Amino acid sequence: MSNNLLDIVANVMEVQVTQIDDESGPETIENWDSFRGLILFEELESKFNVKFTLNELLNIKKIKDIKNILSVRGASLNG
Amino acid sequence: MQSQVEPNLSYFIAKARSIEGRTFQKKIKVAILSSFTINGLEEALRVKCAESEITCLTYICGYGQYNQDILDQSSKLYEFSPDITFVIIDTRTVMSTLFYTPYAIPVNDRRSYIDKRVADFVNLIRTFKNRTDSKLVLTNCSIPTYSPYGICEGKSEYGLMEMVYDFNAKLSDVFRSDPQVFLFDFNSFVSKYGEVNVLDYRQFLVGDIKVSLSHIPHLAEEMMGYVKANMGINRKCIVLDLDNTLWGGIIGEDGFDRIDLSLKPPGTAFVEFQRMLLALYQRGIILAINSRNNEDEALRAIREHPYMVLREENFATMKINWRDKISNMKEIAEELNIGLESIVYFDDDPINRELMLKAIPQIMTVDLPDDPSLYASTLMRINDFNTLAVTSEDRKRGEMYRQERRRTELKNSASNLEDFLKQLEIKVTMKKANDFTIPRIAQLTLKTNQFNLTTRRYQEEDVQMFAHDQTKLIGCAQTKDKFGDNGITGVYIVNKNHADKEWYIDTFLLSCRVMGRGIEEVMLGYILSKAKEEGVERVKAEFIPTKKNKPCEQLLPNFGFKKEGQQWVYTYHVPIKQTSHIELNED
Repeated sequence: MSNNLLDIVANVMEVQVTQIDDESGPETIENWDSFRGLILFEELESKFNVKFTLNELLNIKKIKDIKNILSVRGASLNG
Repeated sequence: MQSQVEPNLSYFIAKARSIEGRTFQKKIKVAILSSFTINGLEEALRVKCAESEITCLTYICGYGQYNQDILDQSSKLYEFSPDITFVIIDTRTVMSTLFYTPYAIPVNDRRSYIDKRVADFVNLIRTFKNRTDSKLVLTNCSIPTYSPYGICEGKSEYGLMEMVYDFNAKLSDVFRSDPQVFLFDFNSFVSKYGEVNVLDYRQFLVGDIKVSLSHIPHLAEEMMGYVKANMGINRKCIVLDLDNTLWGGIIGEDGFDRIDLSLKPPGTAFVEFQRMLLALYQRGIILAINSRNNEDEALRAIREHPYMVLREENFATMKINWRDKISNMKEIAEELNIGLESIVYFDDDPINRELMLKAIPQIMTVDLPDDPSLYASTLMRINDFNTLAVTSEDRKRGEMYRQERRRTELKNSASNLEDFLKQLEIKVTMKKANDFTIPRIAQLTLKTNQFNLTTRRYQEEDVQMFAHDQTKLIGCAQTKDKFGDNGITGVYIVNKNHADKEWYIDTFLLSCRVMGRGIEEVMLGYILSKAKEEGVERVKAEFIPTKKNKPCEQLLPNFGFKKEGQQWVYTYHVPIKQTSHIELNED
């Protein structure tokens, strides 16, 4: 299992990892609906051992936002 | 197949897509009606069904639409025509504002509120039952773990928790003896995984998700218990290793006095495991031993060790020798006349497990943890022993296999088959379908594969309907011999067409336990004589071949049935075959 954020997103959203970057989000990835969003957070929480707050869940618009939250929480992002 | 830990929901979502379009011989239509958002459950269920080689079609009701779906006769639910319907309700929905402020109304109003809610659900379910034959699985409500009254909750009359308890108890009373309706103990599900894990407040507040996404796969797994039982797929036999499985240590090296098996740790772990196994034995699961050991040493421990819970009489067969375990396993299946796919195998040695998995993948080889204190809980997690009803035959099964061992001994000592059959002193009693026999009749149609002419599967409600249908003759055969009672082992269902003086044998089956003793001949002879008494001139039957029912291929031609197209017809042109070694009675 990869700890690479983009790999996890690609896996949950069922897209190629090459098709996404920091700017990708629900607006640009078709599969990223609210349900898949919750599955993604669930995966991230178990992989990085963090808990998102309700407001964080509601305000994530891009992968960059996730990166910011994770780095604030001190989660180690490989790659 | 290997038992395993539950993957994440994302696995099931992706897998569900990748198996789309794959179909299996077995099919089931599952409807899920829920009082809250339950996304992902259908995908998890479809994947789990595929793992058991079942094609699963799903229908999910719109958000909060479970009432409308059931009440509206022309709803998509009825159009879908499910085999099994899950109604998943939650405490908040049932209790409404009383969930938060239960003490806003006086105690009598609280009582009448619950009575009213029970009546609502009972009416809803009766409506459902009037419109479809689908099985219905209704969840109960999880008991709240918080009360605004805190430690005084227990002192308040008919308080919040008691209200929900009462709701659960009343629902379960109403449907206890209803073969179409099952209560799924959702409260136990929540206890098992913990309320703090099952309810994720963020998911609940964002999307009214009341079973967290991390627990949807677990919920699907529990639901599979009903799905598999409904399809008659269940494991019947647990095969056990001895050293470091039923006791700690190695009997051949440590000796009788030194193995770990006692009321002191670590021996307690093995006593606990054996107690759980005994409970399954009493429910009708067959136990057997497959161990590489010196037989006399191992037998002495089984017979004489003061802390053995399971004794010789609990094992249908014991293979204790130095041969390879694969051959032993095949022999066990053959001797007990059960399919390899109905076996669960416990062995502490990973190498043995690996070999078994490779050689006989149909067997569920349990991935037993290294720590014996986890054996009991590993056993309890296996959700494959379910049947829709526990019949008295199930409870007596262990005893029956013990008798079977003695029959085998007689067979080995008799000079020929004819002598053996004579010495058995078999008695067959033909019985009508009634409240006592109907559950067993349905169970036999659902699970009998080998001696089954048409392999038509019928649920308990179907059998009940047939029993009241004047155009059908339905009954069963109870068999006993000098070693004991085999219980109900044969079933027949006949369609009577008196206008044309013709009967058609819709179903004719015999439990594999008693095959090859002439019981099938007595049963068929009985049907043919009955038909003759009623002036019937032609009895039609069918043999629908499957992978497994070769053992009954010759039954019809042996009786003088002649093939006409797809069917076999008997016209009394030869006398009805007699079976002299069996005594026939009618009940």
